Amino acid sequence: MIVVLLIVHGLLAVALVGAITHQALSVVPGTATAGPRSFVRRFRSVNPAAYANAIVVLFSITAIGGALLYPQYRLDVRTALEDMQMRAANGVFEIKEHLAAIGLGLLPTYWLFWRAPLAPEQASARRYLTWLLAFIVWWNFLVGHVLNNIKGLLP
Amino acid sequence: MTPSTSSVSSVSSSTRHPSVQIFSILFGIVYLTCFYMDWAPFRYYPDASAFYLSVHREAGPAILWYGWVTAATVVSAAIAFAVPRRLAERLGPAWAWIVPVVTVIGILIYEKRWFV
Repeated sequence: MIVVLLIVHGLLAVALVGAITHQALSVVPGTATAGPRSFVRRFRSVNPAAYANAIVVLFSITAIGGALLYPQYRLDVRTALEDMQMRAANGVFEIKEHLAAIGLGLLPTYWLFWRAPLAPEQASARRYLTWLLAFIVWWNFLVGHVLNNIKGLLP
Repeated sequence: MTPSTSSVSSVSSSTRHPSVQIFSILFGIVYLTCFYMDWAPFRYYPDASAFYLSVHREAGPAILWYGWVTAATVVSAAIAFAVPRRLAERLGPAWAWIVPVVTVIGILIYEKRWFV
């Protein structure tokens, strides 16, 4: 059961990374539609507001999945990391859990700022909130995958 | 569309719900305070599969994260709803990202202890 939950958690995280990266790049200042249609330009030229609901739902469900996996991690993985004196690995996970909490707290405001009608005076706040959430999602995604595979990654 | 209807339609959701912004701003601060003070309203002991309100060292390692998140949610929501609307509306949108960014930087600085 825990393996199924871990795989679902990882798959939801992939979807979340995709959605937040689309949105984060689409709010980078500069015209995303003019000029030759390169891959990056196509990647950026999405309607960022359309991603907000999906990101809120995916972030919430992924965080709940992580919370459910946490006891097993605390007993098996963290104890093993402590035995192997891998302080940095424990440290990056500590940061992951803090960032997940901060992200959960940000979601209501993030969602509100992305609700129509979009207020022009909130464009900067919307952009920086999206980038902060993108940083959180990417950090947690990478740390989660590295820790999940740490026995195979390190000699 | 007349100027008056235009201004009504441009009222954003966040302007209609200023307490939500206060909640998000406070959430990180309360969470960070609970974590820094090592205080949680309850702890979960996975070895015993039990929640306790106090420290139970004999029950094995404890998880405080659930308690920190719960405390941050309850305290931030209570303050956000208690702040008068007139006061909440004065808060500029920039605070919604500046305070969380500073909170994240604070966390990263504090957690440097794992890498020395």
